[in-house]
Amino acid sequence: MGSLCMTRLTEERKNWRKDHPFGFVARPMKTQQAALDLKRWDCAIPGKDKTIWEGGLFKLEMQFPDGKFVPPLFHPNVYPSGTVCLSILNEEEGWRPAITIKEILIGIQMLLDEVNPDSPAQADAYNLYKKDRQAYEKKVKQVVKDNPAP
Amino acid sequence: MPIATRKRKADSTTASADATSEPQRKLTKVSKALQKDSISQEQAALPATPQTLTSDKGMDSDDDFNSVASSMDLGEEMSSSVDFGAGESDVDIDDDYQDDGAFDATAKDLAPKRKHFEVEFKVYSPQDIQSQQDTQIAEVANLLEQPSEATAILLRHTRWNKERLIEQYMDNQEQMLDKAGLGQEINQNPPRVVVKNGFTCDICCEDGPGLETFAMNCNHRFCTDCYRQYLTQKIKDEGEAARIKCPGDGCRKIIDAKSLDLLVPNELTDRYHQLLMRTYVDDKESLKWCPAPNCVYAVECGVKKRDLNKIVPTVHCECKQSFCFGCTLPDHQPCPCVLVKRWIKKCEDDSETANWISANTKECPKCNSTIEKNGGCNHMTCRKCKNEFCWMCMGLWSEHGTSWYNCNRFEERSGTDARDAQAKSRQSLERYLHYYNRYANHEQSARLDKDIFHKTERKMTLLQSTSGMSWIEVQFMEAASQALQQCRQTLKWTYAFAYYLARNNQTEIFEDNQKDLEMAVENLSEMFEKPTDQLAGLKVEMMDKTTYCMRRRVILLDDTAKNLKEETWKFNVELR
Repeated sequence: MGSLCMTRLTEERKNWRKDHPFGFVARPMKTQQAALDLKRWDCAIPGKDKTIWEGGLFKLEMQFPDGKFVPPLFHPNVYPSGTVCLSILNEEEGWRPAITIKEILIGIQMLLDEVNPDSPAQADAYNLYKKDRQAYEKKVKQVVKDNPAP
Repeated sequence: MPIATRKRKADSTTASADATSEPQRKLTKVSKALQKDSISQEQAALPATPQTLTSDKGMDSDDDFNSVASSMDLGEEMSSSVDFGAGESDVDIDDDYQDDGAFDATAKDLAPKRKHFEVEFKVYSPQDIQSQQDTQIAEVANLLEQPSEATAILLRHTRWNKERLIEQYMDNQEQMLDKAGLGQEINQNPPRVVVKNGFTCDICCEDGPGLETFAMNCNHRFCTDCYRQYLTQKIKDEGEAARIKCPGDGCRKIIDAKSLDLLVPNELTDRYHQLLMRTYVDDKESLKWCPAPNCVYAVECGVKKRDLNKIVPTVHCECKQSFCFGCTLPDHQPCPCVLVKRWIKKCEDDSETANWISANTKECPKCNSTIEKNGGCNHMTCRKCKNEFCWMCMGLWSEHGTSWYNCNRFEERSGTDARDAQAKSRQSLERYLHYYNRYANHEQSARLDKDIFHKTERKMTLLQSTSGMSWIEVQFMEAASQALQQCRQTLKWTYAFAYYLARNNQTEIFEDNQKDLEMAVENLSEMFEKPTDQLAGLKVEMMDKTTYCMRRRVILLDDTAKNLKEETWKFNVELR
């Protein structure tokens, strides 16, 4: 990874520390030598208030340029591997070089409740979402309970 | 093209069963042929179906196979001969008549009536396309009072539908500009690179003094390095041109050509403009690129997609490629595009292997496992479900009582049903193979046309030296060879067409026409086998036969096309 990338990530880190949305977590991981590893970040996204996701906190591992939920999240637009299917993460669609970590995380938070039924990524959540909305919501609430915000 | 898949299929079929029956052999053959083609024709985007004589370039990317006579001239002269009757005497009447070997476009002007199977079209060079674009842009720019860069973006946004653009623009200028990814004040600020003090690029986070920056009217400012890299990636890796958006998050503003010229290196500008031209042709329904490898021409044809069931729009490019404007496959008259697609799919996929299985194996009446009997008695015990049945009548073995090895239970219901189904699939396979074998035969013959052509060339030179004929006097050989190829191409597709035809009187007329053409082709083909010393004496006969072949072809195509246009054919599938 080039120095350009490192500069950008350092700057992202600086900006995040200066100001970030409430409840979100984003910090570089530590290497074995206890130094910061800017290429890998531990992130967490809180469920949005007044949605069925409220009260949950979902862990995400960013390994630039990829990111995925660890463990994989129960959600129609999250692949079984945990990778998120979102337009702003796709280079040929909505991704632009100027998008920051903050925007990505907020985008994913919005996706939690605003499911995009046109691009399903996992069968379980998608089928349940399509066929039995009540069961889907019940299952989501269980997921939230299993991943509570501190 | 899944060549590997097909190869595997062919291998596995030959390995599996002991009896190498028809479809298996067919598959092996097809796969081999395809492999060969894929090597010789790496550049061609299309499956390597042999071309007509008018498309020598596409048949093999070798340049040594360029024809001398223009396909158009040949075709039209041949079709005109229908009106005039064949033979030299007709040509003799004409004043323009110069030599007996070459068919010139003499009769063209005398027979202006278009045949049913011909369509109107126009071939454009890249320069034509560029100037066409420029004129349209200039025209609309004038009307909308916008600079040409913005007009170009607007036109691309509406897919070059001028009327719709003008209407919508007049309706709501602001909304239109916004939708197309343009700001309003494009007039005022020509794009330029500026150095801004105290600026930090949001992409690379550089903030050094003297940093060159760029922004469009949306004011999303980034350093030129980042901008450049972004554009380079879009143009080079993603092949995008007409719809590249600003690198700012969520901004829908589209980069115009002027800004782009300012930012990217020359070699990319060329590619950018090339891509723009490509989108122009791609955007317009009436324009299509010629599918021949390395061909730069585009063809304009007015035939709409919805009319494709009624017409087979074969067009002829400058480069001698003849292709269908509807599906860009090589000329497939008289068969309409839908049926061509169906036929190709049918020949490619597993359906006939499945058919072979159903014709040569039986299914366990209980669990439907496929069973091939490889010997032994008629008392079958399914290995899977342990069902016991009789191989002859497919009825339950228990119904047989003690009459082992001698099935006398033909009246049992359970048996008749199973036998009916099997007979049906055997019949359908036989029917398919009938048409497929003839289709494949012509395809193969056409594929060998390259050899014939080279042989013809050799014979022509030989003829010149042995009989003292001039170059121009031996051109009849080439005309004959080309006619042969073109007719074979047509014949090939008549078999695919016939496969989907329902039986009626019309079909019989069609089959008669088909037979006449086939006989004419075989007769002409036979003459090529004659030793060279006899060829000079056969010249007149050969020319007659050539003309006759082309006449039969025109008759067949014209009749088919006419009925297609009037929708009087009855098909055994739905044209969808």
